[in-house]
Amino acid sequence: MFHWDLLSTPEFAGLDNFKQLVTDGATVRAVINTFVFALASVVTHIGIGMLLALGVHRTMTRGTKYFVRTAYFFPFLVSWAAVALIWKYVLDPAFGLANYYLSATTNWLASPTLALPTLIVVDWWHTIGYTFIILLAGLQTVPAQLHEAARVDGANAWWRFWSVTLPVMSPTIFFATVITFIGAFQIFDPMVIMTQGGPDGATRSIVQYTYEKGFQSFEVGYAAALSLVLFVVIMIVTGLQFRLSRRWVHQ
Amino acid sequence: MKGKLLDLVLVLGGVVMIAPLVWLVVNALSEPIDAFQLPPRWIPRPPTLQNFQQVPDLIPFAQMAWNSLQIAVITTAGALLTSALAAYAFNRLRFPGRDQIFSVLLAALVVPVQLTVVPIFIMMRWLHLVDTTVAIWLPALVNVFGIFFLRQYIASIPRELDEAAIMDGAGHFWILFRVILPLARPGLTALGIFVFEASWNNFFWPYIFLSSPEKMTLPVGLVSLQGAVGGGPAVVLFAAITLVVLPILVLFLIFQRSFIASIASTGLRA
Repeated sequence: MFHWDLLSTPEFAGLDNFKQLVTDGATVRAVINTFVFALASVVTHIGIGMLLALGVHRTMTRGTKYFVRTAYFFPFLVSWAAVALIWKYVLDPAFGLANYYLSATTNWLASPTLALPTLIVVDWWHTIGYTFIILLAGLQTVPAQLHEAARVDGANAWWRFWSVTLPVMSPTIFFATVITFIGAFQIFDPMVIMTQGGPDGATRSIVQYTYEKGFQSFEVGYAAALSLVLFVVIMIVTGLQFRLSRRWVHQ
Repeated sequence: MKGKLLDLVLVLGGVVMIAPLVWLVVNALSEPIDAFQLPPRWIPRPPTLQNFQQVPDLIPFAQMAWNSLQIAVITTAGALLTSALAAYAFNRLRFPGRDQIFSVLLAALVVPVQLTVVPIFIMMRWLHLVDTTVAIWLPALVNVFGIFFLRQYIASIPRELDEAAIMDGAGHFWILFRVILPLARPGLTALGIFVFEASWNNFFWPYIFLSSPEKMTLPVGLVSLQGAVGGGPAVVLFAAITLVVLPILVLFLIFQRSFIASIASTGLRA
């Protein structure tokens, strides 16, 4: 509600900062980017995470199980700063691993269309281990007797998944969805380190824009207005998720 | 047969997942001239430690590691202590407004740290704490999630134990530290692992508050090193990243069981 550069006396601005939000093209772009990132993140994390959890929750040799679980979980332990730096080199157009194995010559992070999807992939690599472990833990709570009973009743594998596994796991899936969305909506680190929000704002996120406004161009009032937007969106979406959850989450 | 095929797909996927980390370590161990070759090498030949020796020439690595460790230890100890005290109060004591205060705290759980960074930055400026490690650990001493998590945990410990201790004339501190916390050990461990890991890997907060190299934590230091390396050998950067990543991975391999249990129970995400 104020114009303030941190040094002079704050000047009351009324709703100026909020008006600027709607008319500032960069803000709109950042909001869209963040939404795209968060939605893609939720879908890919929950979808593939579920497949992975189902894949590991079978009879397999102990060694295989150990390797698979550890391999998918490892990247989650690596600091985002390190992840972003490693992937900058993996994606390097000249000597990176990605182009070599894909036989491509793409400059992933410099392309206005590919940069954001690329960051979604990197985020997936970093965070899937978390989603995977949460979903696996949920899967292990499904009582074997229920599966047995369904089998005796002649339910096939698909039907058993649909009518036994999913309902019992629904609170875990719900939790993972909420947490993934909240986490993804606050994304900041990979954008700052890998693309600086570029090319041309194609990967700038809300938190990153807040940071640039508040700590680089010192428009503190505007940064505060932006962070309120972040808060309101998270509250609304989380509230919606809770409301919708009554329809599908098994209590 | 179908099962074996699925195993193979999962294992191949796992290999792809760790490939970037292997590539990191191999390049960090290579002579600059042998690094980043295509087709990629997966075994350093001959392995050398010279890149690691060059890291301290570019950034005060030991100082940064010390800052990171110091912040992570203070944060973990502080958050565990305040969470235990508050959780005990919210679960075992009766005082007016208890449940109202607790619901306000719960609301704070969904407020992202990014939202609080501007006002806290302004406060830290008043306190002349910007660009000090205090600015990183001070706001982290109270962890709302920790209070919530431990309160749930303490609620599962039978009250008869407290009553028995009260009969013996014990006060609140005695009950908390001698009766309840020893029983809450798995919960404390789970929370501790997570607070520590989150602090060690945190980038956002230190990136905003710290600017002098000798005050920085490792994640921020790595990013600043990227600038310092510039056109120079990237292998040195890779060596530094390896030094940051490897200890956590080794720790994980040792404590894998409690680590996984910690995530599955806390659901916390760095």
